[in-house]
Amino acid sequence: MKREIEVLQCLKEKFGAEGYVRRDRRVFITVDAEKVKEAILLLKNKGYEHLSAISVTDWIKDGEFEITYHLWSYESKILVTLKTRIKRDKAIIESISDIWGGNARTHEREMHELFGVEFLGNDDLVPLFLEDWDGPPPFRKDFDWRAYVREKFYSMDNERERSYYD
Amino acid sequence: MKMGVLAEVFGNMFAKPMTVRFPKEAIPIPDGYRGEHEFNIDLCISCGLCSKICPNRAIDMVEAPEEYREKYPKRYPRIDLGKCCFCALCQDICPKGAIKMTKNVFLSTFDPKSVIKEPIK
Amino acid sequence: MINVFERLNDGKYTIYFGPAHPGSGNFGVKLEVDGECVISARADPGFLHRGFEKLMEYRIPIQNAVLSDRICILESLAWNLVHAEAVDELMGIDVPERARYIRVVLAELSRIQSHLIWFGVISAGTGFDTGFKIAFGLRDYILDIFEMVTGGRVYPAGYICPGGVRRDFPRGAKERIMRVISKICVDEDTTVLEKLENKVLKDRLEGVGVLSAREAIKLGATGPVLRGSGIKADVRRDDPYEVYECFEFEIPTMNEGDAYARYCVGIEEIKESAKIVRQALKMMPDGDYIAPQFRKPKLHVKIPEGEVYVRNEVARGEGCVYMVSDGGDKPYRVKIRGPSFLHMIPVLEHLLCGAEIADVPAIYWSLNVCPADMDR
Repeated sequence: MKREIEVLQCLKEKFGAEGYVRRDRRVFITVDAEKVKEAILLLKNKGYEHLSAISVTDWIKDGEFEITYHLWSYESKILVTLKTRIKRDKAIIESISDIWGGNARTHEREMHELFGVEFLGNDDLVPLFLEDWDGPPPFRKDFDWRAYVREKFYSMDNERERSYYD
Repeated sequence: MKMGVLAEVFGNMFAKPMTVRFPKEAIPIPDGYRGEHEFNIDLCISCGLCSKICPNRAIDMVEAPEEYREKYPKRYPRIDLGKCCFCALCQDICPKGAIKMTKNVFLSTFDPKSVIKEPIK
Repeated sequence: MINVFERLNDGKYTIYFGPAHPGSGNFGVKLEVDGECVISARADPGFLHRGFEKLMEYRIPIQNAVLSDRICILESLAWNLVHAEAVDELMGIDVPERARYIRVVLAELSRIQSHLIWFGVISAGTGFDTGFKIAFGLRDYILDIFEMVTGGRVYPAGYICPGGVRRDFPRGAKERIMRVISKICVDEDTTVLEKLENKVLKDRLEGVGVLSAREAIKLGATGPVLRGSGIKADVRRDDPYEVYECFEFEIPTMNEGDAYARYCVGIEEIKESAKIVRQALKMMPDGDYIAPQFRKPKLHVKIPEGEVYVRNEVARGEGCVYMVSDGGDKPYRVKIRGPSFLHMIPVLEHLLCGAEIADVPAIYWSLNVCPADMDR
């Protein structure tokens, strides 16, 4: 637990971050969106070399996107989850693809497609999974996929699909 | 090395094949297999839990046909095997054991209507 | 089946490898080719995108357990385990000891059968059909065990569910597992697959698709791909989950970083998994197989507010689930991190640049990829 608290303390001092240690080897830290790239660079130089994933959570009630970076260190064997919040209607954040190259670029490409978050500095944000998609970014909480599917693929006339309309 | 290969060749010539000759013989299906459902309407208490837990919404609660309505006045599960993923959650959640999974796996059909299992046939 | 669709005057072509290629799975790579040499590669995923992360937000955990089979078809039990652990940790469930051992046995058997498929498709991709058939034949014995224990051959339907496992080990399962393991691993340090190794297979794989250790870390390679590049990292050892601390096993590594190194790591891992299965079966205690409050599936179970990041070593690398709950009975957000996501896009694109066309299947399959867990 000591090393986990050390990481937390270090980021608290440098970036005024908040966070907690959930259990052994799991640290969750929140930083401001402007400082997130600096924090990631610092962590990378401290040995957090493995970018496990980038994820976005849509907190629609707060009107915010929460972007999470999951970094693992092969030396100290700790997973740091770095979280930051940005406004939902102005979803722009700096890309970290210049730090990790193809790895970060692909993760950001996925998140851009599914949540519509803009990553500044990522030159490869073309659609990844969806082809000829005409709706809004599908993983946002305000996208009702049930209504979309009902309208697009199902019909009331089909007896076996009627139960989807209740 | 060479001799080892030869021994293996001769060994394999007389060994049993890995496969079985299917229509004539089949690998026995073990107990607890998740195949087609068996519904016992007399045990059913119409609680509707099976239709609520079904991940694919393959179970609808429907009324029994006219001629049976006197004997079975409530609503009973109608299972659409075309939507079913055979997870056996309905079997696990059923408080009375009215739905059971059988070992029947021969479910392919040409008639899309026949994949719907009515509570009373 | 490689389909030449555009021909330019200067000897440069664009070639599609997949999705209609018999060996590519539901996945395509667009290759820019100059003569025989690949200049650049562009992955084209999305043929299996089912949106599990979104679907899971609409379902309760026990239904999600059923859904989590489908994340990777070739190792459904391993993904069951990742999902179940995330819910366990979020809800603070005390999983019975016996259930933990059953989970480990099944996860390791699932790793063996997945590596057998890997061996099979490498063999098929390099034109060695005997290896393909024998590997898939051996895998079938493991599927028979799954059928006996979980009730389904490929899809266990959430057998490893939040709280434990859905039913107890049937009688005779232990002996049967031991029999099957001894069929695959003839003794402690030889598998049947090593007997099949031949010069043609080796020549096709050696020196092909070299991934240096630095590139491997930077591009996010995990699992056998990372260990093939000489880095001794394994989530089971570094970040132990379930009861992996109790077992003795080695982490095989190779320094070369080419396709043959990855292939060798795969074969070694089958042996180590067999070792773990043997130990786990010996040490498995009696007792409950599921936490009592989960014995019957329940419709309304509140998940406490919070977030977890669960890492597991699935056969292809690091499989993770990031689960956020806002206190409702369904998870608020589930992020699934499949190992193939990075193996198939940045790593594959990196390795294919400068390769020969004939080496493309060898490189592709040596990464132990599964389009299903990339697209999710």
